[in-house]
Amino acid sequence: MYLGEQVGSTPDHVSRRRYLRERKGREEAERLLEAKSRELYEANQRLTKLAETLETAVHLRTAELETARVAAEAANEAKSVFLASMSHEIRTPLNGILGMAQALDDSGLTQAQHQLVTVLGESGRLLLSIINDVLDISKIEAGKFDLETVAYSLPELARVMCQHHRVAAEEKGLQFEVTIDDSAKVMAETDPTRLQQVVGNLLSNAVKFTDSGRVSLHMTLEEARNGKAWLKMTVTDSGPGIAKSQQPRLFQRFSQANTSITRMHGGTGLGLAISRRICELMGGSISVKSDAGKGATFVAKVQVVPLKERTPADASLSEVKEVVTLEGLRVLAAEDNKTNQLVLRHMLKKAQVQLTIVPDGKQAIETWSAGAFDMVLMDINMPVMDGLEATRLIREAERAAMKEAVPIIAVSANAMVHQVAGYLSEGMTGHVSKPVSRAVLVEAMIKALEEKRSRGADP
Amino acid sequence: MKGVVFVELIRMAESVMGEEAVDDILESVDLESDGAFSVVGNYPCSELMALVDAFGTYLDAPVDALQAKFGHWMFARFVEGYPAFFEGKHDGFDMLDSIENEVHVEVRKLYPEVELPTFATERPGEGQLKMVYASERPLQHFCRGMLESCMDHFGHTYTVDMQESSAQGQHRAEFLVQKVA
Repeated sequence: MYLGEQVGSTPDHVSRRRYLRERKGREEAERLLEAKSRELYEANQRLTKLAETLETAVHLRTAELETARVAAEAANEAKSVFLASMSHEIRTPLNGILGMAQALDDSGLTQAQHQLVTVLGESGRLLLSIINDVLDISKIEAGKFDLETVAYSLPELARVMCQHHRVAAEEKGLQFEVTIDDSAKVMAETDPTRLQQVVGNLLSNAVKFTDSGRVSLHMTLEEARNGKAWLKMTVTDSGPGIAKSQQPRLFQRFSQANTSITRMHGGTGLGLAISRRICELMGGSISVKSDAGKGATFVAKVQVVPLKERTPADASLSEVKEVVTLEGLRVLAAEDNKTNQLVLRHMLKKAQVQLTIVPDGKQAIETWSAGAFDMVLMDINMPVMDGLEATRLIREAERAAMKEAVPIIAVSANAMVHQVAGYLSEGMTGHVSKPVSRAVLVEAMIKALEEKRSRGADP
Repeated sequence: MKGVVFVELIRMAESVMGEEAVDDILESVDLESDGAFSVVGNYPCSELMALVDAFGTYLDAPVDALQAKFGHWMFARFVEGYPAFFEGKHDGFDMLDSIENEVHVEVRKLYPEVELPTFATERPGEGQLKMVYASERPLQHFCRGMLESCMDHFGHTYTVDMQESSAQGQHRAEFLVQKVA
């Protein structure tokens, strides 16, 4: 809309001066636009260049990060491998120390000597528990902490806990009580070793910190969804309690409620951290109710799968299990390490078994087929032929000759969950991990014999 | 000053006095731009004042009245060219309020170097709006024209009281707009 046209004189003819003015205006506008577009172009170029530089920088930085990540992962892996191999390497000589201490103790010592050896044994066992804790926490941190799932009698957990902690509690003059709710008197799929570790840790803490009064364990089972159930293990003590302000630190690794406790009671401060992670891996949690001077109640809660169609063996019956005796039992042990041979010999001396020891799997087979044995203790890592191969060949021979299967107990230092599962699937009857304590070894041997007997009683 | 103001002034002048007269005046006034204004250019405010003076002389009209008339013209151009600023506004006062905080904000986004007058507004009483014009440029009557056009645009009946208080190169005017029921 050009209003001038409505008023203007002769729109067809434009004067020269008007034409020149309009042209000047146009040229001026063109010059301005040209300069503007050049500015825009240059700004655009700068942006493009900046984007390229940024991209290069991002690539460089990404590559640097990748290198750093790979290096960090390699270092972490090296740390894990180092820890695992060191703990294995430490456990083997420790087996010798603990075994020899036990043997020495059995050799008729004076009271004073007996006390020295007891301290020696206790120190060794403490060292062993520290190594186990460090190994556990490193496995948890590396995400390599495996849980197994086997059918387990929950009353058995109560029995084992009673067996392990009653004496220590009563020696301190504490009242010790283990109760199990009817709901928990069932079989359930879970990881027995880890359950024992968690409850054992809570109980040994309770006994350690309580000087008078009582320590108790109570177990209940509550139904949950999807055929699962909550197993609640409550450990209560009348000890000094833990101040509310100190409770948050309780489950952190390398941390105890306060540092003076470390000096008084020792320990790595890893136990509760490990217990908490185990409970979490089992879908549950661990909590504490306490205050200074009011005792403490720890509740460990884990998810298990109850097996309703299976009834557990009567727990009270196991109290009188001790009637089974190892006396005169013909035992073949395959063990290449001289120290460990000595440990085994001394350990089983009291039980009065007839022990034959061979240094490798091949000789184990030869000796086994030549003689009559009630049981085999089989090391896993041996020269010439390893324990797994020997076990496989023994089982083959038994099947061929229609002979009854002899109990074979694996005795090994590298006791990872999946490895133990592997041993059992290879035809082994049970497993005992090194360093072997006499109580555990004897218990495993008795258990194997009982199982054999109950199988034999089957029609 | 933005070229669009000059281009519109020439258009208004042409519509009033015709091309010949405008061409004569452009030749008679000493202008650095020779009157060859384009929308994309920038020109000194003094050329605008010189042109308004010359047009006033030619028409034998007071310069203030011409400025106000130019204000009316420019407001009509804004209504036509920038309808977005009028969206959602149903009252002349709302529109006048929005110049400082909406219109000028948009102008600054496009022309960061621009020098704009300020239009401070307040509502001293029922049906009243006070606007204070402040600028280095003596365009207060141009402002009045725009203000009046704005009130007309929204169909108000009103009175405007204008108080000038310019001093030492700083031009200032207070407008009190009173709506009449």
